[in-house]
Amino acid sequence: MKNGFLSNLPISLSVFSYGIVLGIICNTKSIDYLQLMLMNIFIFAGSSQFVIVDMLSNNLSLSTIIGTAILINMRYFLIGTTLDKLFLNSSIKQKLLIMHFVTDESWAITMKNIKEKNITVYFLLGGGLCIFLSWILGTSIGYFFAQLIIEPKNYGLDFAFYAMFVAILTTMYKTKNDLFTFFITAFIAIIFEKLLDNSIYILISALLGSLFSLIMNKKVEDE
Amino acid sequence: MSDSNMLLIIFAVAIGTYFLRVSGLLLSTKLKKLKYVNSLLESIPATLLIALIIPPIIKEGMIGIIASLFVIIVMIKSKNIFLSMSIGVFIIYLSRSNLLF
Repeated sequence: MKNGFLSNLPISLSVFSYGIVLGIICNTKSIDYLQLMLMNIFIFAGSSQFVIVDMLSNNLSLSTIIGTAILINMRYFLIGTTLDKLFLNSSIKQKLLIMHFVTDESWAITMKNIKEKNITVYFLLGGGLCIFLSWILGTSIGYFFAQLIIEPKNYGLDFAFYAMFVAILTTMYKTKNDLFTFFITAFIAIIFEKLLDNSIYILISALLGSLFSLIMNKKVEDE
Repeated sequence: MSDSNMLLIIFAVAIGTYFLRVSGLLLSTKLKKLKYVNSLLESIPATLLIALIIPPIIKEGMIGIIASLFVIIVMIKSKNIFLSMSIGVFIIYLSRSNLLF
């Protein structure tokens, strides 16, 4: 658990500054602190929290707000399907508890280490808790010090999220076929992001990209 | 937005999100028994990451692409995530402070 916590510390800096931004927005949009904390604790998915807060001020219907926010989190279904080997020897209780704390960040760090090191579900939980704490801390600081804070974007901290994932992707690259899959997926994602104007593109592009990889690997096997 | 509506939103999204997190894990063993699904799911981590990050990196413009290339090169050479990430952030910082070009 400790290793998982420590491995997530670098990226928690980016989560922290992302949290500050959400805290500031909530403060300016008169969302009270209790509501912000309820979101942090029970939803605990940054991008959908941003969407909720943003949509609140646009006078949209309840079902639109709820539907969009859940749609954005559809990727957690796919993330869940990649974790079954890690949870092989876990009880249902552990599964139900630990899955709530899975985030993009702690998941990616776990996937990177899963092949090289002998890690357990507690590595995943430790990472999730690290992200959870920095998220709570970041949003709180943003909320209470909204007027004093200099835009964290100026320091490029929002890019840490992407830079870390680029680094992790580098480690996932194995064969020439992967390069092909990566480029096709990127291409599909860029197109669909423009076409759909909705986070569902993430899900569609990932599935299409994996389908492409499946077809390509199948061809190699047949030859 | 009234307080009760806000609470309704928070708990509906919370339940939906939790359901997604847990059902992916619980259904995966069953899904993998289907033909091809296993190898399809194997490539999901990489494609999901790409779909998540490439569009926003492209939106960042040329500097986003340059910073990402540096991250890749440093990662290959050093195998150190934190170092690669810091260099990427540093390049973006320089560019936003107009210290580049």
